[in-house]
Amino acid sequence: MFVYGLINSAVLALMAIGFNLTFGISGVANFAYGAIYVVSGFLTWSLINKLNIPYPLSALSTIIIIGILGALIYRFIIKRIRGLVISEVIATFGISIVILEFLRYVGFIGFKYSLPMFVSGSVEILGAYVDIQRLLIIGFVILLIIALYIFTHHTKIGRAFRGIAQEEHTSLSLGINPDWIASLSMGLGSSLGAFAAIVILPLGTITVDGGYDVLINALSVCIVGGLGSTFGIIIASVIIGYAQTLTATYLAPHWTMIVSLFAILVILVFKPSGILGHQKELEERV
Amino acid sequence: MLKVENLMVFYENALAINELSIHIEEGEIVGIIGSNSAGKTTLVNTLSGLLLDTQLKEKRKGGERITIFGKITFLGKDITDLWPDERVKMGIVLSRERHPVFVESDVEENLKIAAYITTKREMKENIGFVYKVFPSLVPLRKRKAGFLSGGEQQMLAIGMSLMAKPRLLLLDEPLLGLSPSIQVKLIESIVQIRKDANVTILICEQFARPVLPIIDRGYVLENGMLTLEGTGKELYNNPEIKAAYFGV
Repeated sequence: MFVYGLINSAVLALMAIGFNLTFGISGVANFAYGAIYVVSGFLTWSLINKLNIPYPLSALSTIIIIGILGALIYRFIIKRIRGLVISEVIATFGISIVILEFLRYVGFIGFKYSLPMFVSGSVEILGAYVDIQRLLIIGFVILLIIALYIFTHHTKIGRAFRGIAQEEHTSLSLGINPDWIASLSMGLGSSLGAFAAIVILPLGTITVDGGYDVLINALSVCIVGGLGSTFGIIIASVIIGYAQTLTATYLAPHWTMIVSLFAILVILVFKPSGILGHQKELEERV
Repeated sequence: MLKVENLMVFYENALAINELSIHIEEGEIVGIIGSNSAGKTTLVNTLSGLLLDTQLKEKRKGGERITIFGKITFLGKDITDLWPDERVKMGIVLSRERHPVFVESDVEENLKIAAYITTKREMKENIGFVYKVFPSLVPLRKRKAGFLSGGEQQMLAIGMSLMAKPRLLLLDEPLLGLSPSIQVKLIESIVQIRKDANVTILICEQFARPVLPIIDRGYVLENGMLTLEGTGKELYNNPEIKAAYFGV
């Protein structure tokens, strides 16, 4: 119970990190995130099974290709409507539907679409049998968060990310080009989505509808945690993760999706900026 | 060094800057004096290129139409249509009005973010230089910029523009909202910056009294139009300036 809840939380956090990164930096709510997640799954599958490329190599090239794809989506579509929030949402959601329904049309449906585990086998922890893959997810989340922290605090591009996230015009007057940084953030966010897909998807089969679920989960974690706050994401994914696991155990598994949506509703009623709404926190203290 | 010829800027049909021609020579401190709505901020935003970005954003959302006419040359090169980040690389750096620093980051990180276009070694040197010019920032290094006072944020904002290796530093209302004693300190720092960093400086300001003594030349703007120009001394002794800006 404890272990499964923790793993579920880690899965949610992993799904949300990429979405959150793009939003936190460029302010673009990337609703194509779920589609990118699913495409990454199918792309890796195709590379392995159609082109016979070894698994680690396919995974790596997927992450890179999807990253470039994300940056291109920014360059050619979102750049033109940057700053118009509603248009950004409509455009990215449109992209999402196009990608997902196209995949469905082409025929990516069935149980054969699943990715291999990194390590198969399971171990017993606290009386529960757990796949090693699921434990790896927890490890990856921790590593990823540390890596992102180092990246945003100790590299030039990472610092530029933080600058753009806070004051776009000041950054611009210091020579940081917001469009360049935003396409990088979109690319990196998509890469993180691809990474999440490659780590998480081996636990089940790749389905087109999974894209919508991932989007809703990522969205609810980000809204509950406070958009743009990494620490908020961790807290929110733990809360929602355990809530989902408890619901699945004591109610029924098909109620879990409602948990995320319900969490969005509750947080919007009681604390609209999220548990750790970054900007708000400072305003309240000053 | 910088030459502005017949610059006109319109917001919709309102004329913000009218047929303005000014020039700045290497090593000078030039002042643009004018009251509110004289067009000072529009002028520096045009010089730094930020106005192009605003123009594009407004156009995208179908907002205000901004039109720019005229020609700006920097070091003999036409930069009228150059984007702000390109101009920063050429050496035109703007410290914006109301010191908008990165409030969530601490002071040192603000300076590091500002060092985007320089190398790591230059960054370290420049941070040292900024702390030398503004020693009062040193004890605040690890404090979040949002918790600094207005004067400290202003020093930080100028320090940040120094991180980008300016050749021409544009200061937009650096004295806004500061107490007279801090204004005096800041003015001294500006003189020191010119001497030590070998920068040409353009100050836009409405507090003429502390600024006029240190500038080499000054322009007086009114409703976007050039009404007076002269050396700092001439302007300081001009009876009209005295009446309008010193309250004598």
